[in-house]
Amino acid sequence: MRLFLRRQALAIGAALLLGGGAASAQQLTVWHDLGDNGSKWFGAMADAFAKTHPGVTVRPTNYPTDQWFGRSIAALNTDTAPDLIFNNYERVIRVAAQTGKVMDLKPVLASVADKGFLGEDDLRVATYDGRMIILPVQRVQMGMGVRKSWLDRVGEKFPETWEDAKRVAVKFSTQHPDGDPNGTTFGFGLEAAKPRDLIHMLDLFVFGAGLKHTLIDPVGNIVIDEPKHALVLEEFLKTYTSYKVVAPDTINYSFNEMYQVIEGGKAGIFRVGDWNVGKWDTQAIKGDFLVGAWPRFFPELQNGVVIGGMRGVAVPENAPNKALAIEFAKFMLTQEAQQLSLSIMGAAVRKDLDVSALSPRQQFFAKPAGALYAYDFPESVILYYPELEAAFHRKLLDAIAKPPADWKAFIAQLAGEMRELSKQMAAKKG
Amino acid sequence: MRAMGGRWRRESVFYLFALPFAALTIVFGLWPIALSIQVSFTGSATALRAVPSYVGWANYATVLADPLFLASLWRTLLYAGLSVLANLGFALGFALLLNTAFIGRMRGAYKLAVFLPVVTPDVAGYVVWRWLYDQSFGAVNAALKLLGLPAFGGLAAPATAMLAVLLAELWHHAGFYMVIFLANLAVVDRALEEAADIDGARAWQKLWFVVLPQLRPAIVINLVYALIQFLKTFTVVITMTKGGPNGATNFLSYYAYQFFDEARYGEATAMATVLFAIVLLIAGTVYALGERGRT
Repeated sequence: MRLFLRRQALAIGAALLLGGGAASAQQLTVWHDLGDNGSKWFGAMADAFAKTHPGVTVRPTNYPTDQWFGRSIAALNTDTAPDLIFNNYERVIRVAAQTGKVMDLKPVLASVADKGFLGEDDLRVATYDGRMIILPVQRVQMGMGVRKSWLDRVGEKFPETWEDAKRVAVKFSTQHPDGDPNGTTFGFGLEAAKPRDLIHMLDLFVFGAGLKHTLIDPVGNIVIDEPKHALVLEEFLKTYTSYKVVAPDTINYSFNEMYQVIEGGKAGIFRVGDWNVGKWDTQAIKGDFLVGAWPRFFPELQNGVVIGGMRGVAVPENAPNKALAIEFAKFMLTQEAQQLSLSIMGAAVRKDLDVSALSPRQQFFAKPAGALYAYDFPESVILYYPELEAAFHRKLLDAIAKPPADWKAFIAQLAGEMRELSKQMAAKKG
Repeated sequence: MRAMGGRWRRESVFYLFALPFAALTIVFGLWPIALSIQVSFTGSATALRAVPSYVGWANYATVLADPLFLASLWRTLLYAGLSVLANLGFALGFALLLNTAFIGRMRGAYKLAVFLPVVTPDVAGYVVWRWLYDQSFGAVNAALKLLGLPAFGGLAAPATAMLAVLLAELWHHAGFYMVIFLANLAVVDRALEEAADIDGARAWQKLWFVVLPQLRPAIVINLVYALIQFLKTFTVVITMTKGGPNGATNFLSYYAYQFFDEARYGEATAMATVLFAIVLLIAGTVYALGERGRT
């Protein structure tokens, strides 16, 4: 009997000890929209993090971007938040604005010793309303991709100027560069359906040409009828219409349809983001593409690669394991985690990383040689910008659906309308 | 007293059997509607919290002052009206045709051809329709070109997008309405038609004065169901156009969905409630008118 009791006591003690051990094991949840590759990256970082934090695991959950918004906002508002959320700066802005529950990470960054690689621009695109809403982890870079075999077939080189790009696009649309005489191919693969789709494409044209603002400057001046901006806008709209170099259904294209056209071998010139290269090197386009800067519009302005923003990690105020989440967020800036980011996702913020294992196309982004132009993110300073952009988008889609006879007159009139609307919205928002 | 006890026992058995279904209706039918209406009176940021902040009619005021919402509402009413006419017109015409001896032995095949789209998964069907309308490789324009006819703008042109969507929905739904009409036609009193023949009535007179009045139950049911269906049109939009081009097919359900997507729950549920009230009002009125005519 005594032996039995002793054994029981031992068993209970062991169970308590094991239970205590299990209690120290923690799981961090992170929500992102980077697809399977993103989950693979978080898995690799979790393994590295566990070396200094035994027992800590990370459970990444991937959501399509649209769902990521709704879920993140709902979760933060209902105190069911994950430990970390990861996405582009402008998307985290929306979560922060609609919940007020994204932690200010300024003190966290202050406690990081090794952060000299973060420049002023990097910190600017991490700050909203005076608060650092993300720790910058990956620069989002975008250039122009062109199908190499198509260039060879039509006897062209990578287009350096906009005139080159137009000429190549027309050849791609008319000379069956895919080798199928009965097939249909297009010069450009673009998108237009939602406000962000079309304006995002316009951003590429504008910033790639070396200009600083797409619609409005930080002081609130409408810029679309300034001579250089007007020229780029006119060419942009003609690309969707009279040049006949895009699929006629482009007006209804969003991300998915645009990618179907690009990856399905229907378009020869397209946007390439640093996050696309890894996949397109081995799947879909299978490496049959060249990457370069967006073409030059003006001889006096250097064209360049567009920094479309910053992807970063945010910590909800109501994260269940907030202290550990902060530790993991800080870890994402270490050389080890950044190297994983570069190797798996093709993007990082540190400059002291080994790029030798990357493909030439990945190296184009990892070791940029030319000019880099960053978005101005008007939504971070102009409160009514999303509504203004939506109205601008409607007007542009109107013009694409029913092209005006005189584009210059259209742009001049549109600028006037945008000024009036901007004034009204500014007054309404106080 | 004894008779009352027996009646109570009989009724209690009825209520006992009805109880699970009543409970399910309340839990899965009425409660979500009530909750949605409740959310429409809260601020979006707090809508899902245990203690939301109530903003009165503010969401309704915002929604009703939004010109895009009003444009979407008008577009939805127009689309629903046109779709009801097209679907019921086609379904009735086809059902009457199938009911004649003229069709012969192919009747079963024709019925199947029109009804098959009803059981086809709607998203799959609409994806195929999107390809049919494609401006670069679509079959619709290829056929028109072959016939020497001008190209159809399909989903790419604001002027034709609504018609393109309507045709796709007609393909998907008309078979269902046709089956209802056929069921009603099967119980039409043939003696009345024979009497009309003896009286020398022409074909259209027989149809108008003899057959159609007997089809009133099917017409009312189809009308109410079609109104509800097309006022809430959603799947075809999200699959084929995403409300485009430039808002030409941005019907109310999809417009509200975009607000849900941005977690603007207060405004989204206010829109849903307005749509719910409109559907209830129109469908209820049509049903009441149909019932009154019958009595």
